Amino acid sequence: MKNKNSQGAQECPSRCPDNSAFKQQKLPAWKPKLTAPSVLSSFFTIGVFCLLMGICIILSARSVKEIQINYSDICLSCSKLRENSSNWDKECNCSVHFTLQENMLGDVFMYYRLQNFYQNHRRYALSRSDAQLLGQDVNIENSNCAPFTTYPNGTPMAPCGAIANSMFNDSIQLSYHLNSYTAIQVPWLKSGNSWWSDKNVKFRNPTSYNLSSAFAGTTRPPYWQKPAYLLDEEDERNNGYINDDFIIWMRVSAFPTFRNLYRRLHHTNQFADGLPAGNYTFHITYNFPVTRLKGKKQVVLSTITWSGGSNLFLGIAYTVSGAVTVLAGFIITAIHLKLRKKKTYFQR
Amino acid sequence: MIKTAHIGVGISGQEGIQAVLASDYSFSQFKFLQRLLLVHGRWSYLRMCKFLCYFFYKNFAFTMVHFWFGFFCGFSAQTVYDQYFITLYNIVYTSLPVLAMGVFDQDVTEQRSMEYPKLYEPGQLNLLFNKREFFICIAQGIYTSVLLFFIPYGVFADAAQLADYQSFAVTVATSLVIVVSVQIGLDTGFWTAINHFFIWGSLAVYFAILFAMHSDGLFQMFPNQFRFVGNAQNTLAQPTVWLTITLTTVVCIMPVVAFRFLKLDLKPELSDTVRYTQLVRKKQRAQHRCMRRVGRAGSRRSGYAFSHQEGFGELIMSGKNMRLSSLALSSFAARSSSSWIETLRKKKGGDSNASSPSGGADKPLKG
Repeated sequence: MKNKNSQGAQECPSRCPDNSAFKQQKLPAWKPKLTAPSVLSSFFTIGVFCLLMGICIILSARSVKEIQINYSDICLSCSKLRENSSNWDKECNCSVHFTLQENMLGDVFMYYRLQNFYQNHRRYALSRSDAQLLGQDVNIENSNCAPFTTYPNGTPMAPCGAIANSMFNDSIQLSYHLNSYTAIQVPWLKSGNSWWSDKNVKFRNPTSYNLSSAFAGTTRPPYWQKPAYLLDEEDERNNGYINDDFIIWMRVSAFPTFRNLYRRLHHTNQFADGLPAGNYTFHITYNFPVTRLKGKKQVVLSTITWSGGSNLFLGIAYTVSGAVTVLAGFIITAIHLKLRKKKTYFQR
Repeated sequence: MIKTAHIGVGISGQEGIQAVLASDYSFSQFKFLQRLLLVHGRWSYLRMCKFLCYFFYKNFAFTMVHFWFGFFCGFSAQTVYDQYFITLYNIVYTSLPVLAMGVFDQDVTEQRSMEYPKLYEPGQLNLLFNKREFFICIAQGIYTSVLLFFIPYGVFADAAQLADYQSFAVTVATSLVIVVSVQIGLDTGFWTAINHFFIWGSLAVYFAILFAMHSDGLFQMFPNQFRFVGNAQNTLAQPTVWLTITLTTVVCIMPVVAFRFLKLDLKPELSDTVRYTQLVRKKQRAQHRCMRRVGRAGSRRSGYAFSHQEGFGELIMSGKNMRLSSLALSSFAARSSSSWIETLRKKKGGDSNASSPSGGADKPLKG
C-alpha cells in the first residue's frame, strides 16, 4: 500500500477496467416510469382515437354497395355436368337474373368468389416456376412444378405447375334490361386490374418475333382449353403470361374463401356514372368445377372506398377496442384513486 | 467449499491464488463482496430474468401464428411469413434490443442498491423467474399470436383487395416486428444511447431489408428465391394495412401496460418504491435548490438572531462542547456568564455528574 501511494495515483492495478461511463455502467440513460398521468392519458387518447377511427371505417364500409350471386347453386345442371371430367369439351351456359335495387355509382368492380378452395395449401402454393413466367428458358423439371411439368411425350407445359393449371376459366358477361325487349351488354375492362409490379416485372412473355412462335415447343397445361398465347387475342399487352386474369390467379390467396377481381366497369353510354338500378342477367359459361371439392362460386358486384370493401370487421374491431380502452381507463383511474397504497418513502 | 457453492468467490492475496483458481469470481479485497452481491449480482439476476421472459414471449408470438394458420390452410404446414423473414427474425430483427437490455438494464442505481440490501431478496427467493412467471410469459406470447393472426384474418378474409397470401404475410410480419419492438421498449427500464440505437435501428433494418428483398433487382437475379417482388411497395401503401397493424399493436400492448401499472400501484415491490423515492427526492432537491436561489444573495445572517429559542450561543461560549480538560473547563466556565450553565446544571443535576466520565471516554472515531 505504501509503495503504491508513493508511486502516485496513476498506477492502477492492471486488471482495473477503464474509468469510462460504459465500463463502469454509469451511462446516462432515460429511465421511463409508468406514472398515473402518462398511463391514464395515453389510455384515454388511444381509446378515443380508436373509437373515432372505428366509426369512420364503419360508416365508409356501410357506404359500399355490394351484391353477391351464388351461381354454382343456381346453375345446377352445369355443376353436375362438370362433376364428370370427361365432359370437358361440352359447353355449358347458365343465365342468372337479378335486380339492382339502387344505383351503384362510381367505380364498379366484378369479382368471382370461391369458397373452400385452398389456394394456400403448401404444396399447391409452391407449384410454380417464376423463372419460366419471366419468359426465361428454364428446365422446368428441376422446378417445383411437378407433376405438372411435361407430358408423357416430352412436351413441356407453359405455364407449368398446379396453380397455373387450375386457373379459373368461367367467363361471365352481364346484360342490362333497359325494358322488357332490349338488353344491352354492360361494357367491362379486362386489363389494368393487376399490380403494376406484377404486370411489368414479375411476369414477362418470352421474346420472339411473335407471341405464338415464342411459345413454340411448349403446350398448354392439361386443364386449359387454349394455349397461353391465345388468352386474349384482342390485346397484345394482355396476352401470354401477362394476361391480367392469369396474373391475378397466380397471386394466390391467403384463405380458402376469397374473391379475385375479374372485370372493371367501363364508363361509357348508360354506364357513365355506374350501374343504374334495374334488372340484369349474368350469362356465364360454366367451366370451373367446384362440386368435387365442396366449394361454391359466386359473382360479386361491388363499389369500393378508401377503407376497402364492405367488410365491417376492422370498423367493429376498432370501435370495440376503443370502447374497452376508454372503459379500462375509467376503471384504472377509479382503482388508482381509491385503492392505491400511500407511497412510502424512506425518511432520511 | 468454493466448488460446492452455487457461486464461489475467491479472494486473491498474500496466502496464494488457490482460491482464485477454484472460484467463479475473484477479487482482491473482502469489501468488494458487498458490491459483487448487492450491485452486480442483483443486476445480473434482473437482466437474466427479463431477457428470458422476453425471449420466450417473442418466440411464442412468432411461432404460434403458424398453429392458428394451420386451421385455415388445410394443415399443410404453409408458413405465414416469407422464408427470409423466418431466417432473419431471430438473428437480425429482434436480437439486438434484447441483448442491449440484457447488458445495460438497471432497475435502481448502484448507490441505492448498496443502501437497501433488502433489494437482494428477490434473487434469493427466486421471485423474478419461476414457473409462474414462465407461464405468464408463454400466455402473453400465445395471446399476442392470436391477435397477430386473427385480426389480419378478419380484415383480409374475403376482402376486395390485398386478400392474397403475400400481402397477408407482409402485414402479419410487420405487425409482429412492431409489436415485439414495442414490448421490448416497455421492458427496457434503462434506455442508454445504445438501447435507443438498437431498438430503432432494428425496426429501420427490418423495413430496409423488406424493401430490398421485395425490390425488382433481386428478383431479376434470383426469380425463384425472391418471389415477393413488388409486395412491400403495394401492400404498405394501403391505409387498411396500417390500420390493421395499429389495431394489433394497441390490442396487444394495452393490457400489458394496464397490468403493469396496476401492479405498480397496488403492490409495488421494493425496487419500485426505491425508484419512486429517488424521483421524489430529486424533485425535493430541485425545489430546495430553487428556494435557496430565491432569497439568499450574499446575506451572512445566521438563523440565531431570529430563532425563538435561546440558541447555542451560551453553549459555545461556555466551552462545554469543546474537548478541554476539566481544569480548563472550570476556569473557562467561571469567566463566562454562567446563567445558562447553571440552568443546565439544575436541570440535569444527577445526569451531568454521571455523563462526564462517559464524555471523557468518548474517543475520536477516526484519526
